[in-house]
Amino acid sequence: MKLIDFINGASFYRLKRAVILGVKSLWMHKLRSLLTAMGIVFGVCSVIAMLAIGEGASYEAQQQIKDLGSQNVILESVKPTNNTTAGEQERSLILEYGLTFHDIAQIQATVPGVEITVPSREVKDFLWNRSNSVDGVVVGTVSWYPAMRNREVTRGRFFNELEMASSAPVCVLTQSLARQLFPLEEPIGRTVRMRTSYFRVIGVIENDPAVAAAEESLEGSTQSSGEGMEMMVPLSTLKDHFGDVLFKYRSGSFEAVKVELHEVTVRIAKPEQVKPAAFAIQHILERNHKDVDYKMIVPLDLLQRAERTKQIFNIVLGSIAAISLLVGGIGIMNIMLATVTERTREIGIRRALGARKRDIVSQFLIETVMLSGAGGLLGVLLGIAIPVVITHFAEMKTVIEFWAPAMAFSISVMTGVLFGIYPAFRAADMNPVEALRHE
Amino acid sequence: MARRPDTDPVIELRGVEKHYTMGEFTVKALQGINLKIHPGDYISILGPSGGGKSTMLNILGCLDQPTIGEYFLSGSDVSRLSDDDLSKVRGKELGFIFQSYNLIQQLTVVENIEVPLYYQGVSEKESREIATDLATKVGLGTRLDHRPNELSGGQQQRVAIARSLSCDPAVILADEATGNLDSKSGGDILRIFDELNAEGKTLIMITHDEAMAERTSRVIRLKDGEIAFDTYDQPD
Repeated sequence: MKLIDFINGASFYRLKRAVILGVKSLWMHKLRSLLTAMGIVFGVCSVIAMLAIGEGASYEAQQQIKDLGSQNVILESVKPTNNTTAGEQERSLILEYGLTFHDIAQIQATVPGVEITVPSREVKDFLWNRSNSVDGVVVGTVSWYPAMRNREVTRGRFFNELEMASSAPVCVLTQSLARQLFPLEEPIGRTVRMRTSYFRVIGVIENDPAVAAAEESLEGSTQSSGEGMEMMVPLSTLKDHFGDVLFKYRSGSFEAVKVELHEVTVRIAKPEQVKPAAFAIQHILERNHKDVDYKMIVPLDLLQRAERTKQIFNIVLGSIAAISLLVGGIGIMNIMLATVTERTREIGIRRALGARKRDIVSQFLIETVMLSGAGGLLGVLLGIAIPVVITHFAEMKTVIEFWAPAMAFSISVMTGVLFGIYPAFRAADMNPVEALRHE
Repeated sequence: MARRPDTDPVIELRGVEKHYTMGEFTVKALQGINLKIHPGDYISILGPSGGGKSTMLNILGCLDQPTIGEYFLSGSDVSRLSDDDLSKVRGKELGFIFQSYNLIQQLTVVENIEVPLYYQGVSEKESREIATDLATKVGLGTRLDHRPNELSGGQQQRVAIARSLSCDPAVILADEATGNLDSKSGGDILRIFDELNAEGKTLIMITHDEAMAERTSRVIRLKDGEIAFDTYDQPD
């Protein structure tokens, strides 16, 4: 009895009858059928649910990284932790570190594919609207910052190049800052004071997505660090009003810091150039800075790392799925072998009444496939329901990709075929005389 | 004594032997069997246990093949057929009736009768008609949708008879058909057999019941794997 003979002998009419017969046979032992299919049910359901949760988590992570701009290389100034040169700095009383305009000029001149750079500089202090104050940051930047960092101006407008050139005292507030400073008023057209300088509000920009995510997870702590409380002004305006050296008088101590640029975003023209460009930038910075007083973030790198993590996660999930379906399949095979033995007499009767071996094979194979298919279907339904419940109650993002249930279901059907073949052929290969005599 | 009819035989066994190997020994369950069965014959095959009755049934029923010899059924040699062809012959040319009814428990009366038709590829509608007619004929027209376990032994055996008739076979083989029944139901079953034979059906009954042998027109006795007695071979 070859498998191919069996396939050739199948026809739709026979298939339909065999399916009806299978339902009747499985229905005779409802509890047993249910329990047998359970292995597949839980295997399929757990895979779909886990995939949905994993997809959801990695989707959020990737979205955050994408918001940073996949063609960007972000450079940040970092206060050096290593104090080898601390002696000199103490003598000069001014702590000098970080990225410089010289770095930018070099990067723009020597690294191929560099399109635009967005320098920015920060001054931290209290921001005032009359008597209302917020511990915030003034960010001096350029007019193309929102486009580069994928941040949307929600109200009003961002400052333009004319205002940059004329060092106009205009500012754009982040949403959370606008809410804090102007809880009841329309901020646009109002003025914000920092130290002795006044700035006119011309727009509101959405919060930094990374900060927004942090805020979500740590509700109520938005005000504590001044993170996200940004007021954006033209770079030249910042320099005019606060100079090159920043003085901090805080909690009784005095600190003078000179940082030319706090953050530089370098846009690379083509995605495939990002990696070599990042490598070149790294080199320039290593040469220009003895101390590691900068940090380089390559969103594309992060994205690729996130994707690799997701791949590993998927492989792990796949193995779990394979193991659980294997266990489910073995369970099904075990029961089918028992069923075949139990129904030896029926097989003998059918053989005496004209059933060929292939008829017996198809009968038992269809029964097994229906068992595993029903289990798979139930598993898909449960597997779709669980992420929905999780999203609803745990407020966790879950993503069910359409191929996940489809694949899980077809694999469960295939499990049925794979683990049904042996019992089915064993049934078909019984000697009809002995099968008829079987008690 | 009955006379051998003058027709072509529906079954002809020529020098059939069946050997079983048991370790080093070979047991000859049947030896030198030459037998002609004619259309319309009403035969009982009798014999002591171990006399070869079951082997005879298996070979006549195409469930097993002879070790030596030829078996012609409806004119064609079936002793060397493939498993698939044998299955087809069993379904089309032969009707089986068993001592323990052997109905399929998960199917209803009418569905049980349909089983041989299904394996012959008869369409659903046609097979339903045939099965319903046959169920009515054996007096179960009102119980089409009952399951075997809802029927008495006699009723179950009548379903089995209807099932054996569904493909209009050349020969009906009955193996101790009344063995599990009380005398009244058994009598009913035998009366059905009589009627079927009167309609021209060829019936072969395997039995150890001498009373049953008296109903049939031809008696064959097996002993030690050989035909010890055949009504047709007796001198008048």
